Parts: sequence; structure tokens; C-alpha cells
Amino acid sequence: MLKLTDITLKLDGNLILDNISLNIQPGSIWGIIGPPASGKSVLVKTICGFFKPQRGSILFNDTDICKIPEAKMLEIRKQIGMLFQNNALFDFMNVWENVAFPLRRSNPEIDPGQLRQKAWKRLKKVGLAGSENKLCSELSGGMQKRVGIARATINKAPLNIYDEPTAGLDPVTTSKIYDLLLEIKRQNSSTVLAISSDVEGLRDFVDNIIVLYEGKVRYSGPEKDLESSTDPVVHQFVRGEEEGPL
Amino acid sequence: MIKQISTNIFATIGDKTINIFVAAKTLFLVTLNTFRGVFHFKSREKGEILKQAYEIGNRSFLFVSVTLSALGMVLVFQVCLQINKITGDQSQVGPEFIKGMIHAFVPILTAMMLATRVGAGIAAEIGSMKVTEQIDALRMSGVDPIDYLIVPRFIASIFMTFILGIYAALLVILAGAFMAHHSFGVNYNVFFVFDKVTWGDLIIGSTKLLVHGSAIPVVSGYCGLTTKVGSEGVGTATTRAVINSSLAVIILDFIISAIGLMTIQ
Amino acid sequence: MISSFFASVGEKILNFSKIIGGIVYLFYQIILALLPPKFDLDEFWRNLYKMGVKSVPIIILTAFFTGGIMVIQASVFVKKFGATSLVGWGAGYSVFREVGPILLGLMFSGRVGSNNTAELGTMVVTEQIDGLKALAIDPFRYLIVPRVLAMIIMLFLLTIIGNVVAISGAALFGKYIAGVSYAGFWTSFSQNLYLGDLIHGLIKAAIFGFIVSLNSCYFGISVKGGAVGVGKAVNNSVVASALGIVIFDYILTYNIT
Repeated sequence: MLKLTDITLKLDGNLILDNISLNIQPGSIWGIIGPPASGKSVLVKTICGFFKPQRGSILFNDTDICKIPEAKMLEIRKQIGMLFQNNALFDFMNVWENVAFPLRRSNPEIDPGQLRQKAWKRLKKVGLAGSENKLCSELSGGMQKRVGIARATINKAPLNIYDEPTAGLDPVTTSKIYDLLLEIKRQNSSTVLAISSDVEGLRDFVDNIIVLYEGKVRYSGPEKDLESSTDPVVHQFVRGEEEGPL
Repeated sequence: MIKQISTNIFATIGDKTINIFVAAKTLFLVTLNTFRGVFHFKSREKGEILKQAYEIGNRSFLFVSVTLSALGMVLVFQVCLQINKITGDQSQVGPEFIKGMIHAFVPILTAMMLATRVGAGIAAEIGSMKVTEQIDALRMSGVDPIDYLIVPRFIASIFMTFILGIYAALLVILAGAFMAHHSFGVNYNVFFVFDKVTWGDLIIGSTKLLVHGSAIPVVSGYCGLTTKVGSEGVGTATTRAVINSSLAVIILDFIISAIGLMTIQ
Repeated sequence: MISSFFASVGEKILNFSKIIGGIVYLFYQIILALLPPKFDLDEFWRNLYKMGVKSVPIIILTAFFTGGIMVIQASVFVKKFGATSLVGWGAGYSVFREVGPILLGLMFSGRVGSNNTAELGTMVVTEQIDGLKALAIDPFRYLIVPRVLAMIIMLFLLTIIGNVVAISGAALFGKYIAGVSYAGFWTSFSQNLYLGDLIHGLIKAAIFGFIVSLNSCYFGISVKGGAVGVGKAVNNSVVASALGIVIFDYILTYNIT
């Protein structure tokens, strides 16, 4: 599905990603954790082709996305459903138009009635029936997240990336969001990559985990083996201890 | 102190030269892609060009009306004042004023006003989308932000700058005639003489409007798309848009005037 | 439809009155802060440098091409009547009295005014102004007054530089485009222009500086709503400054001749 080899990225002279290699199998759920500014968001944005790494390759279904022009990358991105950290909802569209947008762009010939129906169905799925015609700014933070999730999953893309799907939400909403993401994953049988600062919640959700620290992968592997890692950074971060290298 | 300032200046100049090259390359690519994007009919939303044209007109109609009519009156006032000092023959004021307005003053002043009003608006809008990651979200849906955001504004702006320029020319001439009549007793029928206006003047004036109208959205769109994330980002992008698009207008105006003078005038 | 039209007109008038009121009130507070003239001198010097020295390149560039455009405008007559003696005068007169102050004022508003709005707006959004107040520092004496004074002085001085550059540009382009010799340009320029023409423009420049400073400070300190709000405020500030410059140009031209 996704194979990263030796990805090294510098932005304005700062080393952001340092020699990152990953192999993500289709159908798996991966979580990315790490302290703030460890390169988590930049890593997923690099996978989406927003940054061109100076070294290394990213194979997405056997296409090296580091080597293709932007026009081709636009086509590849349609196979990725992305939830942005701050949702990035379009403020010039209402809720259902936001959700319908990716579908409309990937099927320009789609019948408007059908498009609307599909978007409304998706909104009902994420528990937002009744808010279809509202403006995104009228919704609460948790509801905006749901709109973002609905937009990220409407295309049934083979790869879903969620950047902080539960940031700023209360524990009840958080667990509801994780249940929703699991249900969507089962239905679409997609591969999932999720970033979160909420380590505990994320660990219940994922099969595999990556720990990033200062642009380096300090752990990558099954979630259940995370505790047995001997790396002091991983150890301290996962346990939330005060003493240590962090 | 002086040494420090001078080394500072050289360091800044060095930095700026590199930055200017990078910026020029990006701006060139944005311009190129905008021209290409005009033919990507499928990427555009239906009715988007009309919506943007309405937006430009709605934002700037009153602004252009007030500023250009005030400027027209001031310019006539200054010209008449000077003529009073020298010859006192006001019969040539009208025809020469009308000619000068059409090939020189109206295009540059209208465009400067639109660079302020429309350019700043475009940069603030696209810059806000950039910092809230909406531009990235567009790209995730397979949409090229230049095709989707800049091209409709580009087409609408060319069209609207042209229309507003013609309107401004009429308004300026009327305001000028009014001022000349009221303050210097120039008769309206002496003022409204259009036979000094040549085809050359009309061609130069129109070319300027079309070129300025296309430069403003490209330059400000480029400033919006290159907005840096952070709370100062959008403000800085808007500032850059005003300055860069005004400067682009002045330089392009100079180039077209020079070519016009050497060829058809 | 009609009622919504009137509602929107009414809303616009209310908004406009609010802005005018806000600017007048700001003016009043600045006067109060100047009696006695106690303000932050460090901040004043910093702003003189930032607003003045850093704007020199853009002012030079603008003035140079403005001079070029004006000389081309004058050259149209030269081609027709062979009146070389008019070029220096025509270019100088229009640059000194009108085009110089207006175009430089607009560029100054774009460069310095909008930067100022963005900066003050960012300080509001990040609650730095409340922080100043909490430290018992008067934001007017510390932030606003030094900026207002710096902008008035700097636009005045930059217009002098701009005039020199514009006239040099006009002479240069006059020679290469219209074929007027430097000597001919200078004779026409020096014999027909008076100190009054220069002063007329410089008085305008100082007042434009004041208008830009009031507008940019007002829109800066009344920012609402994060980074997006700052962008909007900058947009409003440059528009209001352009409007102010043009309207006051009209009033001033009448009153200082």
C-alpha cells in the first residue's frame, strides 16, 4: 500500500524528517505519536505530496510520488481521504456541499440529486442529520470534526489519514469518534493512518504504532509490543514520566 | 553604528536578491499556470467567473467612483490654475484633459485603486484559506488551487477592470468638466471636445486596462498562495499584495506608455 | 428584496459612522496623549527606522517609474508641437503637486500603513495589548503616538526623496524616449517651477502621512477574529487610507494654492 524508504526532508534549512522508512500493509491501522514538533503532521503531508523530500522514495501502490509532477499527484490524492488537524472545512460552502465536494470533483458527471443524497447519507452516518444546510462556522468543534471525517471518507478512498481526529474533544465524544472511524474502516476496508496526542485513546484504536521524535522513527511495530521497547524516549513518552531524555 | 548599518544593508541586499529570484520564479510559474488554467474548463465551478465579477464590481464600484471623480476634479483644477498663470487661454483644457485621461491617467489610477481594493481582498481571502489548510484540502480533492481560485478571479478581473475603466473615464471627464466650469468658467461645449482623442490613445488606454486587470489577480493570488502560517501571515500577505500589485501596475504602465509613445502616438 | 436593500444600505451607513467615530475618537486620544508630549522615544526611533529607511527602496522604485510615466505624458505634446521647453515643467509640475504625493502616499499606505495594521492587529489577537495594560503601560503613549508621529515625519521625508528620484527619472527617460537634452529639461524645470509647487506637495504628504497613520492604527487596534481578522483589517485599512488620501487631496488642493 505505502512504502517509505529513507525519507529525508529539510524545510528552510531545518531537518524535519530524518531517514524515515516505513512499510504499511493494506488494511492495517497505524497510529503516529510523538511530542509536539516531532514531524508528525509534516510526515503525513509529505505522504500527500505537499512537501518534496530531498532524499528517499514514497511508493503508493507502486507509484513513486516523489518523482511525479503535481498534475499526476492531484489524481493520486483522490485515493487518499484526509482529515486535517484544524478540519480545513471550506468556509465558502455549507455543510453538505463540503462533504459532497471530493465526490463531485472525482465524478464530474454525477447527477446533482444523487450527489446530494450521498452527501446527506454520509452526514447521517456521522450523526449530523439536520445540520446539512448550516454553515460550518455555526457548528461546535466536535461537529466540525465530524463534517471533516464525513468529507474525508465520502470517496471510500483506499487510504485514510486522520490528523488529530480527537484534539480538543471531551472523552465521551472522543470514544464515539474512534468507534465511528473503526466502523468506517470496516465498511470501506481501507488502510488508516492516524496522528494523535491522546496516546491512550489511540492505542486502543490502532494495530501498529510509530513513535516519532525530532524527525526520527524511534519505534515502529505492533502496538502490543510498544511497552517492551528499550528506547528511553519511547519508554518515557508512552508512560508519561517526568524523568528522562524528553 | 554606520558600519553596522552598512553591513546590515549589504546582508539584506544579498538575502533579498536570492529571495527575489525565488519569488520571480514562483510568480512566473503562477502566471504561466494561470494562463494555462484559462483553458481548463472542467476545473472551474459553474458561474464562478460571474460571481467573482460581481464581487469585484460590488467591492469597488463606489470606491472607484469616489476616488476617481475627486482625482479628476483635482487634476483639472491644477491644470487650469497653471494655464491661468501663463496664457489664460482655457479653450484647450478640455480636449487635452480628455486625451490625457484616456491614454494615461484613468488606466493607472483606476488600476491603482483596484490593486488596493481587489488585490488586498484576493490576498486576504486566499491567504486565509492557506492558513486554515483549505488550500491543501482542495488539493486533496484533486483540485489545482490556481485553476480553482485564481483563474476565475483573473478572467473576472480583466473584464471588470476594463468596464470600470471605461466608467471611470466617463466619470472623470464629467467631474473635470464640472470643476472647470465652476471654478474657472470654462464652457461645457468648449470642454467636451473629443477630436484630440486618436485611435492610438484608445488602443493604449484599453491595453493598459487589460494588462493591469490581468496583473492584479495574478500578483495578489500569488501573495495569497505563498502566505506563511501564523497569526501574522494573512496580514503580511495582504500587505505584500497591495505593494506588489501596485508596483506591477506602475511598471507595466510605464512599459506600455513607452512602447505606445514610440509606435502609435 | 427592497427592504433587504435598505437594510444593507442602513447597515453600511451605521458601519461607516462607527468607523468615522472610532477614528475621530482615536484622534482625540492621541491629542490627549500628546499633552504633555510624553511618549516612548525608543519605540519612536524604532518606527522611524522601520517605516522610513525600510520603505526607501519601494519609494525609489515607484518614484522612478512615476517620473517616467509623467515625462511620456508630457512628450505626447512634444511630438505634436515640438515644444521641448514644456517637458521639464510638465513633468515637474505634475510630480510635485499631485502625482508624487498621491502615488507615494498610496505606496506608503500599502507598505507601512498595512504593515502597521497587521502588526497592531496581531498584538490584539495575541492579547499583547492587554498584556501591556496589565503592566500599567499606556498603549497610546507606548504604541500609537510614536507610530503616528513617525509616519507623518517619514512620509514627508520620503516624498522629498521621491521627488528628487522622480525628476531624475523624468530627465533620464526624457532624454532617451522624448529626445530632450538634460540641459533643456533643467531649463524648463527650473524656470517654470516655484518653491510653492514643492511645498504644496509636501504639505499634502505630511497630511497624507497623518491620515494613513490614523487609519492604520484604528483598524489595527479594532481587529477581531484571529489571523483571518487581521487580513480583513489590513484590507479595510488600505482602502480607507486610499479613500482618505484622495478626498483630502481634493480638499487640500482647494485650500492651499
